[in-house]
Amino acid sequence: MNSQSQSQSQRRKNFKIEAFKHKVELDPKYAERTWKVLEHAIHEIYNNNASRLSFEELYRSAYNMVLHKYGDKLYSGLVATMTAHLNKIAKSVESAQGGLFLEKLNHKWADHNKALQMIRDILMYMDRSYVPTSHKTPVHELGLNLWRDHIIHSPNIQARLQDTLLDLVQRERTGDVINRGLMRNITKMLMDLGSSVYQDDFEKPFLDVSASFYSGESQQFIECCDCGSYLKKAERRLNEEMERVSHYLDAKTEVKITSVVEREMIANHMQRLVHMDNSGLVNMLIDDKYDDLSRMYSLFKRVPEGLSTIRDVMTSYLRERGRVLVTDTERLKDPVEFVQCLLNEKDKHDKIISTAFNNDKTFQNALNSSFEYFINLNNRSAEFISLYLDDKLRKGLKGASEEEVEVVLDKVMMLFRYLQEKDVFEKYYKQHLAKRLLSGKTVSDDAERSMIVKLKTECGYQFTSKLEGMFTDMKTSEDTMLDFYAKQSAELGDGPTLAVQILTTGSWPTQPTAACNLPPEILTVCEKFRTYYLGTHSGRRLTWQTNMGTADIKATFGKGHKHELNVSTYQMCVLMLFNSADGLTYREIEQATEIPALDLKRCLQSLACVKGKNVLRKEPMSKDISEEDVFYFNDKFTSKFVKVKIGTVVAQKESEPEKQETRQRVEEDRKPQIEAAIVRIMKSRRVLDHNSIVAEVTKQLQSRFLPNPVVIKKRIESLIEREFLERDKADRKLYRYLA
Amino acid sequence: MRRSSNRKSSSASAAAGSGSTKAASKEFEKIDHLFNVYADKSSAIIDPEGIEQLCSSLEVDYTDVRILMLAWKMKAQKQGFFTLEEWRTGLKALRADSMSKLKKALPELVKEVSRPTDFLDFYSYAFRYCLTEDKQKCIDIESACQLLSLVLGTQFGPQVDKFTEYLKSQSEYKVMNMDQWMGFYRFCNEIPFPSLENYDSDLAWPLILDNFVEWFRENQK
Repeated sequence: MNSQSQSQSQRRKNFKIEAFKHKVELDPKYAERTWKVLEHAIHEIYNNNASRLSFEELYRSAYNMVLHKYGDKLYSGLVATMTAHLNKIAKSVESAQGGLFLEKLNHKWADHNKALQMIRDILMYMDRSYVPTSHKTPVHELGLNLWRDHIIHSPNIQARLQDTLLDLVQRERTGDVINRGLMRNITKMLMDLGSSVYQDDFEKPFLDVSASFYSGESQQFIECCDCGSYLKKAERRLNEEMERVSHYLDAKTEVKITSVVEREMIANHMQRLVHMDNSGLVNMLIDDKYDDLSRMYSLFKRVPEGLSTIRDVMTSYLRERGRVLVTDTERLKDPVEFVQCLLNEKDKHDKIISTAFNNDKTFQNALNSSFEYFINLNNRSAEFISLYLDDKLRKGLKGASEEEVEVVLDKVMMLFRYLQEKDVFEKYYKQHLAKRLLSGKTVSDDAERSMIVKLKTECGYQFTSKLEGMFTDMKTSEDTMLDFYAKQSAELGDGPTLAVQILTTGSWPTQPTAACNLPPEILTVCEKFRTYYLGTHSGRRLTWQTNMGTADIKATFGKGHKHELNVSTYQMCVLMLFNSADGLTYREIEQATEIPALDLKRCLQSLACVKGKNVLRKEPMSKDISEEDVFYFNDKFTSKFVKVKIGTVVAQKESEPEKQETRQRVEEDRKPQIEAAIVRIMKSRRVLDHNSIVAEVTKQLQSRFLPNPVVIKKRIESLIEREFLERDKADRKLYRYLA
Repeated sequence: MRRSSNRKSSSASAAAGSGSTKAASKEFEKIDHLFNVYADKSSAIIDPEGIEQLCSSLEVDYTDVRILMLAWKMKAQKQGFFTLEEWRTGLKALRADSMSKLKKALPELVKEVSRPTDFLDFYSYAFRYCLTEDKQKCIDIESACQLLSLVLGTQFGPQVDKFTEYLKSQSEYKVMNMDQWMGFYRFCNEIPFPSLENYDSDLAWPLILDNFVEWFRENQK
């Protein structure tokens, strides 16, 4: 058994498959014959007679040739045959007339591809085995290269092809309809032949020709079109080109052709377009041409510096416009109108930016910086904004809903943010608020409080703490009055009714208190109040602010006409004098009331010289008050209203001397703030040079005002004198903190 | 032996002690003697009258800067008065114990003061010396101008002339403080005159000098 198995396994081991050593010789004649068969097949294929061929036979023939090492012959034969055919085709294409040229080319190309496909299939074995090993070009690629070399780059075809294509594009651009499908096939052909063929034979010349076309066209347009129309045309051309690419050019051409159009039509004419008389950017802004602006924005966005060009022109226009607005003396006569104007400008341009400029943040910033620039050109802006608010809060917002109120206040806050001298605004706002509160003339408490909240959010607690104090005082005063009347009603009897507002000094704007002589009836009840108040609040001091009060007086005129007059305290003092005399001279009035001259004149003017409110008669009847005038009770006074208001406690634009005074007070207030900032900075830094101190102080105070470097220097010197700081002994540019 | 030696030593020390006082008193004897020539008999201090006499002895005008220098050398506290201590300090430093020696010492003194470090000390002393009241920190502009001419007139004549002209023409500053006083000296040293080319008002120069430079440049046009 063993030996048998051994021999079996041996036999198995010995069994091997040997290589086919049997040489199947193909004699050269046979090779030549085989080649001829294939050559004939190629001819037939090119002559569209392929149906009669047997694929299998041809395949086997090619296979055999390669197998028997006749690959070279096969390959070179292929090349020769194909070349010959292509040369024939070239001649055929060349002979085509005019418009048929492209069609012929296209047709022949399609044929060639079909032929190539078949040939490749037949020669597949060669493609897979002979071609790689001998580093030859594969059949399909070979076919394309030969087409390229013998057709496309044939001397009689190359230039003509290019010219034909470009000519068609030109015609389409000038309005003709062309065969887009054909174009697409041709360009696709070029792409198939290799992207460098496409680029060299078509794309580069196409771009060059387009550039000069658009250069010429843009020059033509710009001479005869206004900016808006030009931009429309440019946009149209741009869209056209993009559409052209999508229909019959390679996708990669899009960005190249669009940048040509952008350069020629937009970038090269940017300045001229933007500055065009009567139709440029500025005119579009003025006339709210949203469409044109939107178009300009999207077109200019495509070119370098495009948006910054628009932005710069817009900024300088805004600044100039703003400057004109704030220096227009006519407009400055009405502060409320002035601020409304500014708000309107802001609204207008906000809308432009959101509608046409895509809410672009850089444009918003440009708008803000322009407003900030020109608002601060006029040093009364702060005062006027406060007066605008005063007008709104006193009567303008009457009947407005909560949302409407918020909208108005928010818009005003935007202007407020632009102010450099916020402390000036604070001073005026306090004054105007005081007048509103004391005269009870505010449209809504909620609106007032809402404004305070907004200011607090913007500027911090310190800014509004005193304002809030004013509200508290008003509330407390109400409660105090209720208590006063509850406790004192018996004693007061029939005297005049008193309503006292107790103002905490420091919270309210300081007014120099000019005492005047109150009528005896008033004096009595005032003293009773004083006693009552000091009884419950010992250690406090009360001073009557006679320049801020009001009074309601019942007056009987001739023929028994009764009226109720609402007057200021000063006016009351003057009028009550006429209970004991029909006529008084200016000096008598002055002596009796002790009202300061300027106030007295204003007071008498409002009582005697205003039509419809002249409860006093003046001799002489001149407009101004002179110290020689005599005043009489005007028996003949009439008014269709029972209640007549003659008070003069409304907030109004300050006169020039008042303005100077306020500014002086602001400057005085700034000094300690600057010093405090300097001390704070030096305390933490110990040693610092001059320029750094100035920079730090400016930074610390910028939410309130912009400090003047000269003033800062003066404060530093004052601090040196008072030995808070000293100059460094070695380096005189440095300052040192003295603990 | 010990005793004697002790005694000797003690007497020596005593001698040294008394010798020092003796020597001291001998040292200051002449100086004190000179002091008494000019001092007021009741107050034992040289008062303005005495200084006037001193000046005529020295053949120097009493407004002369050398008197100020003398005061500086004495570290005199109060303008117009010299105490004995101060007199002693000054004259000892000058190594003068007679009028003739004092006269001779004056030119040396002038030279000494002109040395930069000493001059700075002298310059600030000159200002303090004019502060007559307690807690006074400023001198009026008129006096400041005079003092400037006196103290800096020779060294920085042109600057002093222009600056005093400016001070007299303006009304914003009625007094000058130490900081401004020292600032001007620094100005003379660091800023070329009359070009003022490297003057930068953004630096830490006192405001009074900024205003002066501005005034000067305006007037140049």
